[in-house]
Amino acid sequence: MTDTARIHRLLDETVRRERGWLISSLVARLGPGQLDLAQDVAQDAIVKALSTWPYKGVPDNPRAWLRRVAGNAAIDRLRRSVKELGLEDTWDMTAPSEDVITPSLSDPELDLMVLCCDPALALHDQLSLALKTVCGFTAAETSALLLLSEDALSQRLARSKRHLRTLSGDLARFPTRFALKQRLPLLLRIIYLMFAWGYLPRRGSALIREDLCREAIRLSEGLMLHAPETAPGHHALHALLLLQFARSPSRIDDQGRIVTLDQQDRTKWDQDMIRDGVTHLHAAQSSLDLTRYHFEAGIAALHARSATWEDTDWNSIARLYELLSGHAPSLAVLVNWAVAMIMRDEVDEAEKLLDQVSSNKAAQTFTGYHLARHRLAETRGNATTAKAALAQARSCVNSDAVDQFLAEQWQLYETGPIR
Amino acid sequence: MPKFVLMLPHARDRYTNIPEAEFMDLMTDYIGWVEEMSAQGKYLSGEKLNADAGKIVTNKSGSIEVHDGPFAEVAEILGGYMVISAEDYDEAVEIARAHPHMKHNETIIIRQTDPAADEE
Repeated sequence: MTDTARIHRLLDETVRRERGWLISSLVARLGPGQLDLAQDVAQDAIVKALSTWPYKGVPDNPRAWLRRVAGNAAIDRLRRSVKELGLEDTWDMTAPSEDVITPSLSDPELDLMVLCCDPALALHDQLSLALKTVCGFTAAETSALLLLSEDALSQRLARSKRHLRTLSGDLARFPTRFALKQRLPLLLRIIYLMFAWGYLPRRGSALIREDLCREAIRLSEGLMLHAPETAPGHHALHALLLLQFARSPSRIDDQGRIVTLDQQDRTKWDQDMIRDGVTHLHAAQSSLDLTRYHFEAGIAALHARSATWEDTDWNSIARLYELLSGHAPSLAVLVNWAVAMIMRDEVDEAEKLLDQVSSNKAAQTFTGYHLARHRLAETRGNATTAKAALAQARSCVNSDAVDQFLAEQWQLYETGPIR
Repeated sequence: MPKFVLMLPHARDRYTNIPEAEFMDLMTDYIGWVEEMSAQGKYLSGEKLNADAGKIVTNKSGSIEVHDGPFAEVAEILGGYMVISAEDYDEAVEIARAHPHMKHNETIIIRQTDPAADEE
């Protein structure tokens, strides 16, 4: 990894991870009414970090640095209102030690996430609030994740915060079992989105944001430990996260380039994690109430357990995509279904499906759609169409790694295949 | 080895309302440069200056007067300074050329420190 990429990643991980932690622990201590203050203080600390570290170098422990600066700022700002809030006049930043993570609902991030999922708020308000405040996504990332304009996002955030301000007391801070159960589907969705962004960032320099993936897994585990029983859908989601993440070590080569599934070194896959994932997938089948996570985890399991690319069970995968499209007929699901069809030589059916998909406006700006078109044309041996589809894929907004991958594919047309 | 001070001024509103992602990219460049120079043993120290007006203390024929700095009136402010070591001005200029400040801002002012101050 280049130096720039390393530093960038360090800043990105520290800043993101700490923003959520700082905000959550402040809110846990001061109540949801102080969300604005918590965010301001966290933001100030981050700006201070970014502007002084260039002169002094990055401190040995950037997290401790940020926590100290934010803690001091919070003390300063609170000193004035301490009496009226009835708090102690010192505010100690009791940070958990670096690597000891105690996944329980004593985890302030989980608490805040549950709080954000207040049923009194609209779905998108809940999601915006959780992604922006707990998961530490920037406004740009949150709006991209939710397909909202940044203006619309900030309106939603303002509205949600106004609502949280009206809550008070222990109920707001420590959700009941009932609240947890009621809010679970949304909590799972947030964890899912967080993981999805980490696994395939849609913009920026990183191909995979491991910090986000790990955090999503951690939150999911925490939630599992706390809930009296784990819902089948939660088992399925957890299986999905593990089965996907287990394959991440082989997704990037030494130069940070994408390695596609057919080229991946499967010995690098984390077999323990795959086993765990499969166990959760079995546990998920205890009820007939199937969620989208069931199908997605099923697909991930088929890939993860396939010894070679050639052994991939495309029939089952296509069938699962079909079922999944009944639950969540999203663009990505339909496109992947079409790819599975191509893989089992149902080229005409795949084309029909892609034609259907193309009426969705968003398809034109979705890289996966053009890559599916590309694969379809390649399978038919139609180089001109394949090349045109690749050009379309390159014109979409992609992460840097995906852009590089597409550029290399493009190069093959210019110079001919290397092999 | 002679020491040089690099003064890094920037436009007053350069970092006002800058999107965080852009700020992070910028600072990545700066941190990378400082780490690289430190590894070569050429980065000695640096200070980020606070973005306030500062104070000016003057002696008006025996009586000390204190005023706020001229911050509000000037177009450029001094963001901070860095001390590096270099053979001579030629090398210091070469170093400044590659400084990310030249990519993200316009000016670096170089001054050599008086070597006599370092004599044992």
